[in-house]
Amino acid sequence: MVKRPLPTQQERVLGEDDFIVSKTDLKGIITYGNRHFIQMSGYSERELLGTPHSILRHPDMPRVVFRLLWDTIQAKREICAYVKNLAKDGSFYWVFANITPSFDRAGDLIGYYSVRRKPRPEAVASISEVYQALLAAERKAGDGQEGMKASLALLNQTLERKGISYEEFVFGL
Amino acid sequence: MKSLSLGSRVHLLIGLCLALLLLAGWAASGPHPLPSLAWSLGGASVLLLGLALYTAQRILKALDRLTGHLTAAAAGNLDSRITGIKAGAATGELAWAINDLLDQQEAYFREVYSAFEHATRGQTFRLAMDQGLHGAFKEAMVRVNISVESLGQVQMMALKEKLISKLTDLNSGNLLTNLKSIQEYLMNMTQEMSIVGQLSKETAGDAEASRATIEGLVVDLNRVAEMAVASDAQVRLLHEKSDEIHQIVQVITDVADRTNLLALNAAIEAAHAGDAGKGFAVVAEEVRTLSENTKDAAASIAKTLRTFGQATTQMISDSEQVKALAEGSRMAVAEFRTRVLKFAGSATTSFTQMSRAQDLSFATLVKVDHFLYKQNGYRVIHQGTTSPEARAVQADHRSCRLGTWYYEGQGAELFSHVPSYVRLEAPHADVHRNVHEAVAQLNGAWERNPATQSLIYAHFEAAERASETVMATIDRMVEERHRLG
Repeated sequence: MVKRPLPTQQERVLGEDDFIVSKTDLKGIITYGNRHFIQMSGYSERELLGTPHSILRHPDMPRVVFRLLWDTIQAKREICAYVKNLAKDGSFYWVFANITPSFDRAGDLIGYYSVRRKPRPEAVASISEVYQALLAAERKAGDGQEGMKASLALLNQTLERKGISYEEFVFGL
Repeated sequence: MKSLSLGSRVHLLIGLCLALLLLAGWAASGPHPLPSLAWSLGGASVLLLGLALYTAQRILKALDRLTGHLTAAAAGNLDSRITGIKAGAATGELAWAINDLLDQQEAYFREVYSAFEHATRGQTFRLAMDQGLHGAFKEAMVRVNISVESLGQVQMMALKEKLISKLTDLNSGNLLTNLKSIQEYLMNMTQEMSIVGQLSKETAGDAEASRATIEGLVVDLNRVAEMAVASDAQVRLLHEKSDEIHQIVQVITDVADRTNLLALNAAIEAAHAGDAGKGFAVVAEEVRTLSENTKDAAASIAKTLRTFGQATTQMISDSEQVKALAEGSRMAVAEFRTRVLKFAGSATTSFTQMSRAQDLSFATLVKVDHFLYKQNGYRVIHQGTTSPEARAVQADHRSCRLGTWYYEGQGAELFSHVPSYVRLEAPHADVHRNVHEAVAQLNGAWERNPATQSLIYAHFEAAERASETVMATIDRMVEERHRLG
């Protein structure tokens, strides 16, 4: 079992023309990662395979984003999200993640496929503010279900005020 | 050796093997044969050959595995990847190259799928992302996005048209009902008006009959006046005749006086008895003259009395006619009174009918205003939120025409006492609230959002339902006012 490292202020940046590709099973256990994944995460292929994808979760990320992510892909729909990832050495790297469900020939869900690209710095600046507010809401209400409820409400409220869906919001950044 | 490529690794092993064999041959058959060296070199070359065969075997196995992945990919299964690639393995680079190719292909297809899938729902913000794709994959994506955008536009238009056509259906359905309601009202009004017209006609007939009666009455009364004048002349004649009788009576009185005196004188003369015959003859002559005069006077009186009798007969006849005329006038006046009463009754009915017709026309006007308000709501979908129609629908249920009528105008004045009056406010407010909420949705990206479109439709539908209640309540208000009076 790989332990999550302590985060540092060191940033890694993904190449403009590269993308990270990874695959997981239905439980989020990594079943494949391309060389950019290995390089950016700092883990070896051997360490990554069989490990939960959440090993890369950065403490600056609000939990509601992953809740939304799981709810969406479990409903067999695509999701896009800006994610701050935690590398093995504690450094971080921002990605614009696109996760889609994978089906077998019978049409059954067999896993998830994720492509992560380098986000525009302006988008990262905007989403960081939103995430800080969501994270604050989660911490204020405590870390349990209440925190999740509070930040989900805040997210929905923000979207309602803008009068757009989550997808439109994300692609509009 | 581990950093060497697949081909050079096998080449190196076979080269080494050949070199050792040559060396062994040289050691066995050269100018200074060294059999032991030859054996060891030969043994080493056999070992090397074995290693070369083993390596080639492993490479072939790895290639088999890679071939399996490529065959699957060729069959359209882009999901499989090569994992557990040993760092520095002979086929490692090849395995990663195959993974990269599959990653490019899978990312490409998934992006194309997602973008088209969104576009078919009219969501043009989700274009295919070409970042991280290379070469032909990246170039193809540019063309894909052109298609996605135009498909998205078409879908967006289709969605917009779908909502508009649904709303048009909803609207025209209700418009027909609304028009029917107006038609019904107008028909009722026409009926009321025709009753008023009939009454006016009857009233005019009565008035004409009254006029004829009055004219007859006037003729009768004129005749009465003429007769009165004639009676007066008869009375005057009677009066004159009375004078004449009086004078005749005076003459008779004089004659009687003088006869009396003559009788006295005759008595005196007889006493003297002188030439008895002489004087008496004179007296006798005087008496004879007097008797003549008396006879004439009596004849005159008889004549006068006959005239008097005629005048009296005339007077009696005249008075009978006057009586008959007076009776006729009395009946004419009674008939006139009846007609006047009937006229007054017709006028009251006319007034009631007119007032109902007036209420119906007011109700129709406010209904038409209300329809126009809804029509403007529908028009905002076409004309946009900055159009005059959009400004028109901003009115709330107090400031619209129906609202003004209801709270301040004729509605409050004429209908506030009927039970249904208070029931109009809630559905009317509902119509405005729903139209406002529907129009508010138009500020966002409703054209590509089916959920928003459903919401807009639901609000318009709710507005129509509430509007039906508004119409029915107005009908009831009019009915109640005329039933309660």
